[in-house]
Amino acid sequence: MREQQLQDILQHMPAGVATLQGPELCYGFVNEAMHTVLGAPVREGQPVAEHPGTIPADLLEVMQQVFQSGRPYVAKAYCIPLPAAEGKKPTPRYFDVALEPVREGDGPVSGLLLFAVDVTAQEEARQKAHHLSIETRRLDTRLRVLTETVPQITFTVDAAGKYEYVSPQWYYFTGQPPTADLNAIWPLLIHPDDRLRVLYQSDSARAAGIGWSYEYRLRRHDGQYRWLLSRALPELHAPDQAVFWHGALTEIHDQRELAEALRRGEAELRFLADSIPELIWTATAEGFIDYYNEYTAEYSGLTKEELGPTGWINLLDPSEQAGAARRWVTSIASGEPYEGLFRMRRHDGRYRWHIIRARQLADERGPRWFGTCTDVDDQHRLREVLQTQYDELARTNRDLDTFVYTASHDLKQPVLNLRGLFEELRRTASFNDPEDKKIVGMVDEALGQLDATLLELAATVQDQRGLSAPVETLDLRSVADEVLLGLRVQVQESEAVVDLDFSAAPTLTYGRANLRSILHNLFSNALKFADPERPPHLQVRSAVTETGQPVLTVQDNGLGMELPGRPAPVFQPFARQHPHIAGAGVGMYLVQRIIASRGGHLDVTSKVGQGTTFTVHWFEN
Amino acid sequence: MIHIVYMSRAVRPLSDQDLQALLDQCRRDNAARNVTGVLFYSHGNIAQLIEGEKEVLEPLFDVISRDGRHSNVVKLVDKPITARSFEDWSMAFHPLEPSGFEALQGFLLPRHLPPPPSSLSIADAMLVDLVRLAVFGADAAPAEPEPAHA
Repeated sequence: MREQQLQDILQHMPAGVATLQGPELCYGFVNEAMHTVLGAPVREGQPVAEHPGTIPADLLEVMQQVFQSGRPYVAKAYCIPLPAAEGKKPTPRYFDVALEPVREGDGPVSGLLLFAVDVTAQEEARQKAHHLSIETRRLDTRLRVLTETVPQITFTVDAAGKYEYVSPQWYYFTGQPPTADLNAIWPLLIHPDDRLRVLYQSDSARAAGIGWSYEYRLRRHDGQYRWLLSRALPELHAPDQAVFWHGALTEIHDQRELAEALRRGEAELRFLADSIPELIWTATAEGFIDYYNEYTAEYSGLTKEELGPTGWINLLDPSEQAGAARRWVTSIASGEPYEGLFRMRRHDGRYRWHIIRARQLADERGPRWFGTCTDVDDQHRLREVLQTQYDELARTNRDLDTFVYTASHDLKQPVLNLRGLFEELRRTASFNDPEDKKIVGMVDEALGQLDATLLELAATVQDQRGLSAPVETLDLRSVADEVLLGLRVQVQESEAVVDLDFSAAPTLTYGRANLRSILHNLFSNALKFADPERPPHLQVRSAVTETGQPVLTVQDNGLGMELPGRPAPVFQPFARQHPHIAGAGVGMYLVQRIIASRGGHLDVTSKVGQGTTFTVHWFEN
Repeated sequence: MIHIVYMSRAVRPLSDQDLQALLDQCRRDNAARNVTGVLFYSHGNIAQLIEGEKEVLEPLFDVISRDGRHSNVVKLVDKPITARSFEDWSMAFHPLEPSGFEALQGFLLPRHLPPPPSSLSIADAMLVDLVRLAVFGADAAPAEPEPAHA
């Protein structure tokens, strides 16, 4: 019964148990676990060598030797692979195999007791640990190579502030021997001005268990202090218990110098901008002013905050604000430079003329705008005075020319009459006195001279004013613009609106000076005879008649005039429609003369209080 | 009464649904607080003008500037005004599907935006124009009226 119990226990043991009997080592008792180890069922009495199952040959040999020597043997973590199906790799299994010789009493060895304990899991864990340690060594090597090749100095500090590790770069940088006492030397190499701060900062970071990032100067091997950036992070072993700080020192000397130089440069530029007695400002890409120089505050009496991103518009003369704003938005949209002449209000309420200029700077930092407002008030006023005087002179000169021209022309007829009368007198009267004949000759000569002088006078004026210049193809708009430019003071003063429409006939073949003279007279008349009740509105149109002849109409909304009932030339020299308005009264007469001389005529319709329309028929049909 | 203008960047692009929700939210919240204004949105650019009582607007702007849906909030203007210029709350953006939006009250396609109301000072009107330009780009800018020849 006890035998049976023992058998059962052995049968179900989790370790393989088998007895091998006789020198042949024939299977005796084999328990379940050992069957699994062998992988194939074995018969009792079968020699191991005949049916080795999964037992490798070397183990068979060792079994024989143990049998012969009678010395037990244990093979640790011995691999007995489990055979797998065809073509698949056998699964490795590991066993601690114990071979125990069995003796009957004190007799010779009669068999072997075979134990096999499965240690596959332990063995696999061991192997994994082995691989891990190899991998760890590899990573460690890599980390070391990396830390020793990067340009930074890397270090590890413990919670007490002692340096555990510093990469060799520290020694290269500082020129200290490898035997140097790191903890004693390091603080001494820090620039005296930075030392206390650095020690305090790293101390308090360690006390708080947090990382740090600060800059300081460290003495290099050549004695020069260089700016370094020290950054470190704590290695936490418990949630808030830092044990080590790992960090790196990066040399930032050059960047710092550069940044310092930039800062200095910027400060100098800003100082420069603030010292210039001119309004200087910068704006963002979106067109919002983000800097006004000090003079702007001084001039306007407003702070940067009061001016705000678009407040400069408020400084302009109210009538100019809308136009200036529109142009600024257009410039921002297109990137085109901004330029304009505006009146800007000074702190005392006086407006002074300024040229506002702004240009866009586009670089890798994105577009920005730089602007200036230059005070040109004195120049502008001087120029205005000069312009007025010049215009006055030009007008007088023109009037004089016209006077000479018309006078010479108009004197021709009386001279002609005089000559006729004189001829008649000579024919009918008899002169007896020889002296009389002489006088007659002299009168004749004087008349001839008068005639020639008048001709010469007319020709001279014509030449001077270019009235006799050859015709050319003219762009009506450019000539009109030129004329309006000359009249801009009057246009501005009267707030006139001038609509030019030359789309129907953009060019005209005519004398340039003639065309200019005609347009000048028509435009200036329209401005001069404006209704004070409303701003002048000039509509200038070119057209082609049904017969293919070019015409030009100039319509105004001015005072208008009474036209004589008869179809006679409207304009006589020195005949003035509006005696209360200054002028010599020869302008329109001259226009008419020019047009007539080129083979055209001038039509006019007018209503008092509504306006006048002049139609120039350049050439007769 | 004051008005505040700011610009910001959306953290992620807003979808049509997001925009509609935003429009609804703004209209509802602002009507309750008597806040009016206009909001521009395009390609992640946001600009808004809000007008109302100082004691309402300042805390509102604090809330807006902390809203997680946008960042880089830059306040351009914060100043007293005498009258409202955007009585009817409105919003302009480029929806992916314009057809569904045109009928919505308070919504405008950027190119249909009217010029800034004349109740704004010229400096403020220019600010609104610049903001609109910054959000929508030059294409959506109002057509330049032909300047009078003078």
